[in-house]
Order: sequence, then structure tokens, then C-alpha cells
Amino acid sequence: MIRLKYWPLVIKQITRHRVRSVLTILGVAIAMYLFVAIQAMQQGVAQTTEATAADTTLVVYREDRFCPFTSQLPEYYLQQIEAIDGVVSAVPIRVVVNNCRASLDVVTFRGVPRDLFESTIGQNIRFSAGTLGDWQKRSDAALLGETLAARRGLKVGDQFDAAGITVYVAGILESDEPQDQNVAYVHLDFLQQQVDRRLGTVTQFNVKVDDPERLGAVSNEIDELFASAEQPTSTRSEKAFVAQIASDMIELIGFTRYLGWGCLVAVLALVGNAIVLSVQDRIKEHAVLQTLGYPSALIGRLIVTEAAVLGLLGGLLGASAAMLTIRLTHLSFSVDGLSIPIEAGPVLLALGMALSIALGVAAGLVPAVQAARRPIASCFRAV
Amino acid sequence: MAMIECRQLSKTYRKGASIIKPLDSLDLDVEQGSFLALMGPSGSGKTTLLNLIAGIDQPTSGSLTIAGQNIAALSRSKLASWRAKHVGYVFQLYNLVPVLTAYENVELPMLLHPLSRKQRHERVGTALSLVGLADRHDHYPRQLSGGQEQRVAIARAIVTDPQIIVADEPTGDLDKPSAHAVMSLLVRLNQELGKTLIMVTHDAATAEHAGLTLHLDKGQLVEQSVTAAFSGETATTHADEGGDA
Ligand SMILES: Nc1ncnc2c1ncn2[C@@H]1O[C@H](COP(=O)(O)OP(=O)(O)OP(=O)(O)O)[C@@H](O)[C@H]1O
Ligand SMILES: [Mg+2]
Repeated sequence: MIRLKYWPLVIKQITRHRVRSVLTILGVAIAMYLFVAIQAMQQGVAQTTEATAADTTLVVYREDRFCPFTSQLPEYYLQQIEAIDGVVSAVPIRVVVNNCRASLDVVTFRGVPRDLFESTIGQNIRFSAGTLGDWQKRSDAALLGETLAARRGLKVGDQFDAAGITVYVAGILESDEPQDQNVAYVHLDFLQQQVDRRLGTVTQFNVKVDDPERLGAVSNEIDELFASAEQPTSTRSEKAFVAQIASDMIELIGFTRYLGWGCLVAVLALVGNAIVLSVQDRIKEHAVLQTLGYPSALIGRLIVTEAAVLGLLGGLLGASAAMLTIRLTHLSFSVDGLSIPIEAGPVLLALGMALSIALGVAAGLVPAVQAARRPIASCFRAV
Repeated sequence: MAMIECRQLSKTYRKGASIIKPLDSLDLDVEQGSFLALMGPSGSGKTTLLNLIAGIDQPTSGSLTIAGQNIAALSRSKLASWRAKHVGYVFQLYNLVPVLTAYENVELPMLLHPLSRKQRHERVGTALSLVGLADRHDHYPRQLSGGQEQRVAIARAIVTDPQIIVADEPTGDLDKPSAHAVMSLLVRLNQELGKTLIMVTHDAATAEHAGLTLHLDKGQLVEQSVTAAFSGETATTHADEGGDA
């Protein structure tokens, strides 16, 4: 944008009105903090609800009952589901949630048959601590999603309880699946015993299909199969369920998008205000520079750079503070045992920074063009 | 050919119905290496003429040829690079950038030229030594006296080695000793370094330093006087040359 030798001029101008610059940078930082936090929620929603081409998992629930408390299906459906053409594998899951309402601190127990775990859910996870063998050995063993483990400060060997169930931490797992983040995988029979002794009843089946193209066909086939059974089913992709069950919250989060845009406008206004003031203070100084032979385009670029630096510093401060908060608190929204994680990665940080620089440049443009166009001689008379 | 040639140079402003003519069809030649003082009542167009010669203002009509180039016809950006090469401007109120040190202020015009940091350092050092402020590199304008500030401003005006220096009441805001120091500096620039110098002043004694004094009134040249100490006439009004005065 400008040559290295002109940078000291820009820096000196920014440090000239220290309080004003600091306030501007703080304002930008707060706005960008909010923007990044909002963006992280939006991304969480997109990640949990927007189907991607690679999705091949269907979830079978009891028809019309999507809360873990009310969806009850017989475990023996498993054999019939597995027999359907296109189904790679299926796993019965019993879900118990410590808090069925919308909540930020949720623990979702998922009871899975000990011998089915590896061939189904085990395909999508990595162990960051503990092993599958450790989990299989103990009947009260649990594998924790990393977000849950980090939020509760749990490590292998610890015991913890939630929803009246006490488990032993046998492993911590990493997964790209949002729904694995707040989960504690336990043995199915253990969970059934602990909760209501109703062996043979599960909440849902997770079904892996061989081809994403066939998701619709397979789900129809499952629902038709049990249509006239005592417990009819409703089968959809996991993300479609999340979108339906958490629709209120998703709508609310969707609305925060406008707040995010408001933050960007605030950045524009803050930097714009600071630059307009600083340029007005310096009308004569810019005329002096032009008298010395500085081309108007260079004057304009110096001003735009100043604005961009204010934006950059504010953006850096705000976006990295937001990242830090999100990383340290491991927050996620949960409804009915389904989680919408709030996640911020380097891409979001880069986006926040790029936007604040771009907004800085945009805010500096008008004052820069005005300063560059002002007739030089009349600037000396103005004061 | 004269260094600076003004032909029918006019500047007009329209203010509602009335038209103000700070400069009215002015003809003037300034020879290279001369020292010219401009005097005249307030509002007579002295600053306007100086600004036109310095290339920071554009005439409404007429031509202004400096070193063979009609600068009235240059675009804004061409004019900027012309200024960077050809003129140094000394203001009444110094106009140093307050957040920059004396060194940095003098370095400002040098940044525009393709020089290394080291080359710039040498040139700035030379300029500050020439004005007698070699020991003030790191001082900010507020830490300098008015006279010292004006000398820094002169260093800034000459650091790029322009042929022409214009000064608008350079001693107008200074006490006698400081004014004297500044004037002897300007005289040296003219006599030792051969700079063409045009200076506006209200003070007849200050004008004495110049080889030739021109009097302006209502945008026109009304009178010229050659300082006794100077033998040759170095500026003429074109009207005189043409013999139609
Ligand atoms: N931008 C402008 N718009 C209107 N009138 C202007 C403008 N600039 C200068 N003038 C007028 O032009 C005339 C000449 O001004 P100029 O500054 O050249 O006078 P001066 O001889 O330098 O006066 P002083 O000794 O007070 O500095 C004045 O009447 C002034 O009001
Ligand atoms: Mg004047």
C-alpha cells in the first residue's frame, strides 16, 4: 500500500492522539469480538444442520417423538434395519440427557452395545486418551467427547456423575462430528440398567448407508417397514433432525446474524470518525506535504493506511480475544441432547482480521479522497 | 531566457456576483540566481503570486514558464513531482510537522526521491549543519525557538537542492536577532549556493537584502526599486522591457 519508508509517518500520526486511537481500537475490538462470537455460532449451526455430500448417516426415531425421554424403540428392530439393501451398519443407541431443555452445559449419555461400538461410531473417532479396550473392560466405563472433558476438566481415571448416573472415564475421543463433542459413550446395557431397567428399549438407531445418494430411499424403506408396527419410526439424516428439533434456537441464532452486520457497521463508523477527525486536524499539514511535492495520491494512501492500521489493531485484539474465550469455555448450545457447538478456528480469525482491515480501508477512503483533492493554497488560508 | 517568466498571469475568484482579482495580467521575468523581494499592502496579491510560482496554485489565465516549462499547463500529479524537484517553500509560520523531529521534518521531502536511508541521512545532516542546527536532530518543533524552527524549515526547503526558494514573510513572526539569523541564511543561499530567491516581506529593511524589490498593488506591479548595494538589475517587469509602460 505504501513504501516502507513512509510507515513512520503513519505510526506517528496514530500515536499522536493516543487516547483517541486507543479508544477507537478498543471500540473496533469490542465490535469484532461480538462479530467473531456471532460468526462462531452461525458456523456451529451450519456445521450441525447443513447437509454435506459426504453425509451417510441416518437416524431412526420413534415417529413424532424426538426427545430422548419419549422416543422409545425396540432394540430388535436392529436386525430388520441391517437387512435393508444399502445399509452398511446400524447401531441402537439409548440417549439420556442431564438436561432436556435448551442448555449450555449438557451431558449426553449414549448407550451403545459394547461389541458394536468399534464397527459403527468407532469409525469416525480417534482416541486422544485411553483405549477402546479400557472402555470395553469396565461396565461403567465412559468415552467422553473432548469438549465435554475439557469443560468439566475430566481425564482418564476420573469418575463423574450426571443425571444420577456415575461413570468411570476410560477414554477421551476426538471427532469432527458436532454431536460427539458433548457426549459420554457408555455401554447400552449399563445405561438401561441405571435409568429404568428397561432392557431392550432404545432411543434411536444410527444407520450408515453405503451411498449418500441413497439416503432418501433407505430412510423411506425403514419407515415403511415399521409403518404398521406398534412403534412406527421416523428416519432422517442426523442434521435434518437437529435442524428440526433445535429450530427455535437456530432461528434465534440466525437472527444474531444482523447483530454481526451491525458490528461491522460499528467498525466502519468508529474508524471513519477517528480518521475524519484526524484528517480535519491536519488539513494544513497535508497541504505542507503537498507543497513539498507529495502527490495527492500518496497523501490519500497515507490516510487509508492509517485507517487500515486502526482496523487491523482493533480486529486483532477483538478477534483473538473472542477466539480465546470460545476456546477456553468450550461452550455449545444443546437441545434435547443435540448440540450446536460454538467453534472458532484460524479461518474465522483470519476472516475477522481481513474484515476489520477492509472496513478500515473503506472508512479511510472518503476522508482520503477529500484530503487529496483539496486545493493546496486555500488550506493555508483556512486556518 | 529568464528563469521565471510570467505572461499576462491572472488569478480570479468569483464570490457571488463580485469578482476578486488577486492577480491581474501580471508580466514578470526573474533571472536565475536573483534575489527578489515582493512588497505591497495586505491583499495586494503577494502570496497569490508566490503560490503560483511555487506551483501550489494554478493561474486562471496567462502563462507561467519556469526553467522552460509552462507549469500552468501541468496536471496536479505532474505539478507535485515538479515541486519536489524545483522549489522549496519557506512559510511565515514555519509549518513543521509537530510530531516529527527536526531530522524527520527535513527528511520529509527526501523520502520522495529514490535514495537509500544512508544517502538521505547524509543530505539531511548537511542541510541541518548548513542552517546551524546540527546538534538539534532529535528535537521536536515545540522544543525549538521560533528562529530555530524557521531554520529547520529552511533546511527542509533546501535539502532536495531546488533551484528556486520562495519565502512568504519568513521573518514576519520572529524577533530581531532571529530574523537577522534567518535573513543572513537566505542571503547565503542566494549568494553562495546561487539559489533563485523570491521573498515576500512587509518590512523595508528586510527587503534591503534583496537585489530588487517589486511593489504590488491590487494584483499589479506598480513599482520596482534596485537596492543600492547591487550593481546589476536582475528582475524586470515585462511591461518595462516592452516599452509600453
Ligand atoms: N480562495 C480565495 N477566495 C477568494 N478570495 C481569495 C482567495 N484567496 C485569496 N483571495 C483574495 O485575494 C487577494 C490577495 O490575497 P493574497 O493573500 O495574495 O494577499 P497578500 O498580498 O499576500 O496579503 P497579506 O500581506 O495580507 O498576506 C485578497 O483580497 C484575498 O482575499
Ligand atoms: Mg500573504
